[in-house]
Amino acid sequence: MGSSGSGVTGACVEALIARVEAEERGAAFGARVAENQRRVFQIAYGVLGNAADAEEVAQEAFLRAYQKFASLREAEKFRAWVNRIAFRLALNRQRGHRRRLARDTVWHVAGTSDAVDGARSAEERVLVQRLRSEIESLPEKFRRVLQLSIVEEMGAADVGAVLGIPAGTVRSRLHTARKLLLEAMK
Amino acid sequence: MTKACVKWKEQLLEAALTGTAAGDLEEHMKTCAACAAEFEVLQARRERMDTMLPLVARGAELPGEFRARVVAAAEAESEQKRARSVGGWVLAGATAVVTAALVMGLLLHWRAAPTVLEAELPAAERLAEWRAPSDVLLQIPGQEILQTTPRLGESYMKVPINTEEE
Repeated sequence: MGSSGSGVTGACVEALIARVEAEERGAAFGARVAENQRRVFQIAYGVLGNAADAEEVAQEAFLRAYQKFASLREAEKFRAWVNRIAFRLALNRQRGHRRRLARDTVWHVAGTSDAVDGARSAEERVLVQRLRSEIESLPEKFRRVLQLSIVEEMGAADVGAVLGIPAGTVRSRLHTARKLLLEAMK
Repeated sequence: MTKACVKWKEQLLEAALTGTAAGDLEEHMKTCAACAAEFEVLQARRERMDTMLPLVARGAELPGEFRARVVAAAEAESEQKRARSVGGWVLAGATAVVTAALVMGLLLHWRAAPTVLEAELPAAERLAEWRAPSDVLLQIPGQEILQTTPRLGESYMKVPINTEEE
C-alpha cells in the first residue's frame, strides 16, 4: 500500500515537472516569437509581396524553430536561425509560385502581389509597386542583399549571416544595388 | 545633360547616393548647369527611393494573435509528435511481450510433450517387450541370420549364429 502510494506520488511529481517544463518552454518560445515576428514577417514579405503568404512562411519558420528550440535558447542564435529559415522558405515559396504562374501563364498578367499594403497614398502604392518590380529585375546577388537590407533591424551583419557572406560584401553589394535601382527609377 | 557630360554620369550617381560630390565633379557642376540640375534630380530621386524602399518589405501588420497562434500550433505539433513517439514505443513493447510469451509457450509445450507419466512407465515397458504367441508361426528359417547385422567386410553367410538358446 505504502509503495503503491509513493509510486503514484512519484508519477504525479514527474507529470507536474513535465508540465512546468512545457509551460516554461512555451513561455520562452512565445517571448522569442514576440521579439522576432515583425522582422521575420518582413523578410518573407520582402520576397513574396503577399501578406497571407508571408504570414504562413513566418509561422512555418517559427514552428521549425520550436522543434530545435533546445539548441536555440540564446536570443542571438534564435534570431539568426529564424531569419535564415524564413528567407529560405520565402524563396522556396516564390519559386513554387513562379512555376505555377509559368504553367498558368495566361493569368500571369494580373499578378497576385499586394505589395502596396504598407504604402499610404495611391502615388506611393504605384511607386512601391514599381520599386518592387525594379528590384525583381536586379541581378540575384544584388537583389537578395537589397531585399534583406530594407527589412527593419537588419544590419549588414544580419544580412551577411542569412546569405553566408561577410558584412563588407553586403555593404558593397548594397551600394551597387542602390545605384542600379537609382538609375532604373528614372 | 550634354553629350560631353556623359562621362560624369557615373560620378553623379555616386554623388547622389553618398550625398557628396567629388572635387572634380563639384568643379564641373560650377560651370555646367545641366549636370548641376541632374545632380539635384538624382538626389531628390534617391531621397524618395530611400523613403519608399522600407515599404517594399513592410506589408500589412501581423494579426495581434499571431504569437499565441504560433505557440499553440507549435505545442500541438510537439504533443502530436510525442504521442506518435510514445505510441510507437508502446506498440514495440507490446509486440516484444507477445513474442516472448509465444516463445515461452512453445518451449514449455515442447518440453512437456514427450514426457511419460511415472505411473505409466512400467506398463509402457511391458507393452514394448510383449510378443504375440502367433509370432512363432511367422518366423522363417534363417531369420536369426537376417536379424544379426554383419560387420564391415562380412557377409550374412559368414555371421556366426548364436545357438546357445537352442
